[in-house]
Amino acid sequence: MDQSVAIQETLDDGENCLIAVQCLLLLDNGTESRLLGLVEHIKEHALFMFMHRRMAITGSDVTLQKIIPISYDFSVVEVSSPEELAVVGADTRLRVTFLNEEIEFKLPFGSHTRLFLSEVNRAWCDVCEQYPKSPKFDWLTKYQKSAKEPGSLPSIAASTGKIAKRERSHSADTRGHKEDKHTNSSTDKARGEGAHENSQERVKGEGRNELVRLSTHTVSNKAQMLTMPQFGLRDTLIKCELLKNEDAYTYIENFSFFLGTYNVNGQTPKESLRSWLGCTPQPPDLYCIGFQELDLSKEVFFFNDTPKEQEWMKAVSEGLHSDAKYALVKLVRLVGIMLLFYVKKEHAEHISDMEAETVGTGIMGRMGNKGAVAVRFRFHNSDVCVVNAHLAAHVEEYERRNQDYRDICSRMLFRQLDPTLSPLTIMKHSIVLWLGDLNYRISDLEVDHVKDLIMKKDFETLHNHDQLKRQMDEEAVFVDFLEGEIEFQPTYKYDMGSDKWDTSEKCRVPAWCDRILWKGKNITQRHYRSHMTLRTSDHKPVSSLLEIGIKVVNEESYKRTLEDIVRSLDKLENECIPSVCLSKSEFHFKDVKFMQHRAETLTLHNDGQVPCKFEFIKKLDEPAYCKPWLTANPSRGFLAQGDSVDIDLELFVNRSTAPELNSGQQQLEDILILHLERGKDFFISISGSYLSSCFGSSIHTLCQLKEPIQDMPLETIRELSLMATSETNSPDTEKALDIPKELWMMVDHLYRNASKQEDLFQQPGLRSEFEEIRDCLDTGMPDTLPGSNHSVAEALLLFLDALPEPVIPFSFYQQCLECYFTSGQCKMIISMLPQCHKNVFNYVTAFLRELLKNSAHNRLDVNILATVFAALLIRSPTKQDIMEKRKTQEFFQHFLVQETH
Amino acid sequence: MAKQYDVLFRLLLLGDSGVGKTCLLCRFTDNEFHPSHISTIGVDFKMKTLEIDGIKVRIQIWDTAGQERYQTITKQYYRRAQGIFLVYDITSERSFQHIMKWASDVDEYAPDKVQKILVGNKSDEEQKRQVATAQGNKLAKAYGMDFFETSAFTNHNITESFTRLAELVLQANKKDLDVLRVSINDKLNLAALEEEEGVCDSSSDAQKTCWC
Repeated sequence: MDQSVAIQETLDDGENCLIAVQCLLLLDNGTESRLLGLVEHIKEHALFMFMHRRMAITGSDVTLQKIIPISYDFSVVEVSSPEELAVVGADTRLRVTFLNEEIEFKLPFGSHTRLFLSEVNRAWCDVCEQYPKSPKFDWLTKYQKSAKEPGSLPSIAASTGKIAKRERSHSADTRGHKEDKHTNSSTDKARGEGAHENSQERVKGEGRNELVRLSTHTVSNKAQMLTMPQFGLRDTLIKCELLKNEDAYTYIENFSFFLGTYNVNGQTPKESLRSWLGCTPQPPDLYCIGFQELDLSKEVFFFNDTPKEQEWMKAVSEGLHSDAKYALVKLVRLVGIMLLFYVKKEHAEHISDMEAETVGTGIMGRMGNKGAVAVRFRFHNSDVCVVNAHLAAHVEEYERRNQDYRDICSRMLFRQLDPTLSPLTIMKHSIVLWLGDLNYRISDLEVDHVKDLIMKKDFETLHNHDQLKRQMDEEAVFVDFLEGEIEFQPTYKYDMGSDKWDTSEKCRVPAWCDRILWKGKNITQRHYRSHMTLRTSDHKPVSSLLEIGIKVVNEESYKRTLEDIVRSLDKLENECIPSVCLSKSEFHFKDVKFMQHRAETLTLHNDGQVPCKFEFIKKLDEPAYCKPWLTANPSRGFLAQGDSVDIDLELFVNRSTAPELNSGQQQLEDILILHLERGKDFFISISGSYLSSCFGSSIHTLCQLKEPIQDMPLETIRELSLMATSETNSPDTEKALDIPKELWMMVDHLYRNASKQEDLFQQPGLRSEFEEIRDCLDTGMPDTLPGSNHSVAEALLLFLDALPEPVIPFSFYQQCLECYFTSGQCKMIISMLPQCHKNVFNYVTAFLRELLKNSAHNRLDVNILATVFAALLIRSPTKQDIMEKRKTQEFFQHFLVQETH
Repeated sequence: MAKQYDVLFRLLLLGDSGVGKTCLLCRFTDNEFHPSHISTIGVDFKMKTLEIDGIKVRIQIWDTAGQERYQTITKQYYRRAQGIFLVYDITSERSFQHIMKWASDVDEYAPDKVQKILVGNKSDEEQKRQVATAQGNKLAKAYGMDFFETSAFTNHNITESFTRLAELVLQANKKDLDVLRVSINDKLNLAALEEEEGVCDSSSDAQKTCWC
């Protein structure tokens, strides 16, 4: 019965009783029944505690005792005492603290209590949401006087600045733990702390829901990222893995690289370059040919355009080894610095990711009169970078040359295919080939001495004075680069068109300006030499033939490796699908009775590698995730890795679900879908056997049953209830009872034993006794009704309340409202009721009139009985308002008073 | 080079309890086989990446409970599928006869464009065979479906049948795919990458300085 209606009647306009629950107030010397209502007024909430008569039905049944404003200092803690350990279905014990007070209640086990608590919880969250605005509770002051305990509202305003910690622990968590002390102390502690804690506290307060929301942001490891729809990461991971496992699908194959460098001093090609480029016995696989001072004119300097580019390219193309066909892959030039890259035709398809860049280090450190051009490319599976540099001139400028080298290294950046990746530097390549006019000279030796050493071919002594060698030994430049033994005379500076050393005024000291270096594994130099026969320039060209081990892909093993990687990523991903294990997937509730709480525990254990959110979800075309007689608590939540949660599956058949179960039209059968977010769904089967009861059976059916309902075959009950709907008032119900024998048993019992019982119908009965009475009525055992008068009285009320069709059938309800004021018409309506309903009505009213004769003892009056029984006998098919309620009461009063005067 | 993109779609395994749906899935994704039968109570899925015509296809394969009492519930999963395996057991005439019921459920609850193939599993158990290959062929033909006899035990025709259904789905969704090709949002990928790898180097190629 919804007792919030009774509370509502005591409230002012604009105040709403959202939900009410009957509970036990725990006192030092026992317990007393109270009614707790959650009352709302413009977003402010308070708990109203009422003393009450029997099951409170109207406002006159309740007396306000205490108001508990829900403010920051309010807290509700679920506690479990040691003697009540782990009893599924036990009452919920609650400690409410506010200001300096603490009250403990016992709330009946079940979903209604849960609902009540969640509403209170929500009200508390509302307060916090509005922080720092404090609730004023002005509307409560008017109740202050009426409340039975004076001073129950001491200084509400003073309390609002404080914040209380809320530790709303679910029974699932606290069950089995002795937590009283812990929650106590933390509550106290929190109360003393400041307002800044608010946000933190709220996370706790909202508990599970808040965590659920947060959980989407806790993704931290790669495996979890994989499951996200951003596929880019997957590709990157595959690339990384491929790189890591490169050895598995590549093998090293040697290719010959012909490297050449030639400072042409602005000249045009005058002679064939074959003696330089075609000097190898076998045609090389690749050519990288660098030129410096291709053009010394101002035009090229300012416009970077020169006809010499084409001329020299043509000369090179014609000078390549004649035994093979070559393709020019790339030409890159910065002013006079040019690099040409050729490959043998058959290798062209294995060149990829080709990029070319230039860096100027000349005038102002930027211009292209000095600097470098470079190409990078992937040959089979190896990344190669080739640099052609022209570094700063003059003997004393070796530091400047070192600086040029460093500038080139840092500023030469190749963009990557994937624009999201940072550009590649020269040094990122596993193979770097560096050639050019590096301009390092021979120092500390007189010209003549140098020439003398050259004459003697004492290149070793000479080399010790080579600036590049010295700088490299000092690791000032070209760190990790290698150069082959120099066994040729310096390539600078000659008189043009001759092999004679510079005879100009400056009379330069000969130097090994033109050099070829390399960096990387699996590289062997086959030759390193100059080419004296070319006389076009004041330099001689230099060449180096390198045999370089290139990683070549074995297509078959590549495919296999890729498949392995993809498979392992899939596996990783599949392992990271949220996963839980269930303690049970089938639940059977045997012999379920009317209004009997039954519960089973389903334990979820997160055995996966990620946290997960779970939720019971709706089935297609069904209004809720489960049938109305079932609830799962909690029905959703968050579960960290390795954690477990207990879900209570509660079964409770009330008056709205009982009729169809009694008649066998419905069974206790359901399948719940437990859904894991981004994961699988579990099906949980619920089944049960329901023991038919007179509670929730129709008057018509019961009148046909001469035996206790549980002695009847289910099929008979089913047929009877079907008949009831088709042919009301049928004449051939020859041996039907006038009224249900169960009703007779209860009324007769009360008539004989309780006519003078004080406060009959006003004191609540005992649940345990109700259960005995129910069983007695349904099985016929024992012969007489057990329990106290109050319990039998309550059973009678419940019986009437549970009738699927009320004593005055729904179809007569409207008529009742229309003629409630005329006694004659009211009786007319009764006379039109189906026979068995009419019998029941007359029987009950006769009984009540008997009771009124003893009003001196039982203290009943017409008003009380009309209020109690009108609500049960004359029910609205829809929601009833107060006006209608009054009319039904007046209607019923006619039958209580008629024969008393 | 075009931006890498992936396609994701869902395939559903349907058929009577015990025909080997879970085993087919396990064999395909993990290359494992567990001979003992544990009824699937619910709906489970696994991911698998395939490459079809150069397109990386990621498929989510849903394994459903075959038991009759769950059938009304499993139907609500049909509408999310782009491809459906109708699986029977060649050693069970009954499971084969039920294919018609499964197929009509699919017609009713799955999207119109859904692709189906018929799979007769347990082809290794020749001596217990109750359904001839010809019968399977005939039924598949009647429904206009491709047909495979497979064995999760011997790994026979497993990859073939999954790949085939994936191909069919890919073909059926070709149009949408081409739209995807143009409109793929790689911003999202980018963000994910940067967060994950910390690769965003401060130097950018926009700073490239070349005066020439």
